[in-house]
Amino acid sequence: MDKLYIICVDDQREVLNALTEDLEVFENHVKIEECESVKEAWDVMEEVDNEGDYVALLITDQVMPNNTGVDLLKKLSADIRFGATKTILLTGQATHKDTIEAINSAHLNHYIEKPWKKDDLHATIKTLITQFVLDKGLEYQSYMDILDQSVLLNNLRKTT
Amino acid sequence: MTSQRIKLLISILLPVTVLLLPISAFQIEGLTIVEQRVIAIFLMAALFWILEPIPIYATSLLIIFLELIMVSTKGLKFIITPDSPEEFGTLISYKDIMHTFASPIIILFLGGFFLAMAATKYRLDQNLAKVLLKPFGENPKWVMLGLMIITALFSMFMSNTATTAMMLSILVPVLAVFLPGDKGKVAFTLAVPFAANVGGIGTPIGTPPNAVALKYLTGPDYISFGSWMAMALPYVIVLLLFAWGLLLLFYPISTPKIKLTITGSWLKNRKAYIVYATFGLTILLWLTDFIHGMNSYTVAMVPVAVFSAFGIINKNDLKNISWDVLWLVSGGIALGLALEASGLAERLVNTIPFGTFSPLIIIVSVTVIAMLMANFMSHTATSNLILPLVAALGTSIMSLGPLGGNKMIVLATTISCSMSMALPISTPPNALAFATGTLETKQMAKPGVIIAIVGLILNYALMYVLDIIGFF
Repeated sequence: MDKLYIICVDDQREVLNALTEDLEVFENHVKIEECESVKEAWDVMEEVDNEGDYVALLITDQVMPNNTGVDLLKKLSADIRFGATKTILLTGQATHKDTIEAINSAHLNHYIEKPWKKDDLHATIKTLITQFVLDKGLEYQSYMDILDQSVLLNNLRKTT
Repeated sequence: MTSQRIKLLISILLPVTVLLLPISAFQIEGLTIVEQRVIAIFLMAALFWILEPIPIYATSLLIIFLELIMVSTKGLKFIITPDSPEEFGTLISYKDIMHTFASPIIILFLGGFFLAMAATKYRLDQNLAKVLLKPFGENPKWVMLGLMIITALFSMFMSNTATTAMMLSILVPVLAVFLPGDKGKVAFTLAVPFAANVGGIGTPIGTPPNAVALKYLTGPDYISFGSWMAMALPYVIVLLLFAWGLLLLFYPISTPKIKLTITGSWLKNRKAYIVYATFGLTILLWLTDFIHGMNSYTVAMVPVAVFSAFGIINKNDLKNISWDVLWLVSGGIALGLALEASGLAERLVNTIPFGTFSPLIIIVSVTVIAMLMANFMSHTATSNLILPLVAALGTSIMSLGPLGGNKMIVLATTISCSMSMALPISTPPNALAFATGTLETKQMAKPGVIIAIVGLILNYALMYVLDIIGFF
């Protein structure tokens, strides 16, 4: 089974802890990495890629010291190694301008406002991971438990 | 060491041991070196397909590769130049082995794939389902029957997986409106994969095991598209009705009204009309070979040529063809070829005194073994392994003759491969239904096992009737 990663980025430790706690349901199938800065996140993602594993999803905060979440998203979308990686901007403080930039220049997949609702977050992650697995052509059977059924079924209709 | 590595190690070490044994160790009179190598390749195929250390289609490619190197006329010089030709045996033509990639059976399936792809692309499947489902109203019982009939009908021409995916995507939103605690949810969710599995039996292109069977139905045993359907359709209908009744009995529906909504309307552009017409024409030609003389393999080129010429299936769509399924079948054909052409199949049958067994015991054993195996591994891989052996029995055991001979036992075994639907891992359709989260494994296993047993009994009854009316 290919190793998938979810990278969570937030400069506040408590937020990161709360987030990873909410992501526990995915832990049997996906590895979850906590990063406190954009730089750390980038190092982790490069390491994952070098190991031949996949960064399936990046969940990032916007306002952080040094680099912002949108900076990270832009860098990611310009990098061919992470072309299929799905992205969530999870923030309470992004301005209108930041958000527009994230969508137009960094192909943001999803925007979630803090404080998040656990169920919504789960549903969104399921959908994005399913799309990642299908985009990459990975063996979907190994991840069946955490996949979004309707996305999967619609895609399998094209099976010959 | 991971379990995957252990599996890989076993799958390699055992065949290599067989390869290195002195030929006298086999206790088979006159066994040649080529035949010994085919035994090793067959054992490797069996272990790889059962344990699955690598994807099943990769095993097929490995079979073809090893056959080319070890037992073909253009293999590795140092191992195919015999010291004494008699003990060495006969090498197989490399062209014959490579031809398995484009065998008529593969072309037949390619034609089926083109039909299915075009039908999905131009929403023929969805719109047809909408029209066909209408007469079944809103009474859950009848809606479920309609759902099963349509699923079975579609899976005769589309892959069982694609059919299940489509019908489940229609069904899943409706499951939410069932009354809480209504067992009918389970019935509905199971109805789709069961109907898809049973429906696959209906045509030669319905499911890959049928393709594998065609390899062993040649010469006097040749079966046309139409006569396959004439044989299988009554069986499919009876088993489908039984499955419907059984599911209703086990999981009665208490929700009073069900409405399946299917969106979309018929496409009315030039390309869509070409798809509708070609679909109809291809099936018509498949059923009327006795008039125009083109066999089902030739007719399969109709959709391939027409859809490519009109840009209905374009370059990008070609990438979506399940080459893995086609190559999985190719490997099975190559395995059967090696068994036959090396003379191993005949030698094995002659060595083991099958002739003294009652033919009924042989029929029951092979069908039950096929059904059990297919519950735990790929249906296609099961038929790849078991059908060459069954065909060897069928062509050499004289006592099977009055019961329908090779044709009968190959068809009976092929149908048994499609009977396996007791577990989520038995077939991809089962896995998809299970993933909806509406049912537990045992809720699938109970009706699945009963349908399989009744399916086997009906299978024997069908063969008996076919024999009486002189079908074989």
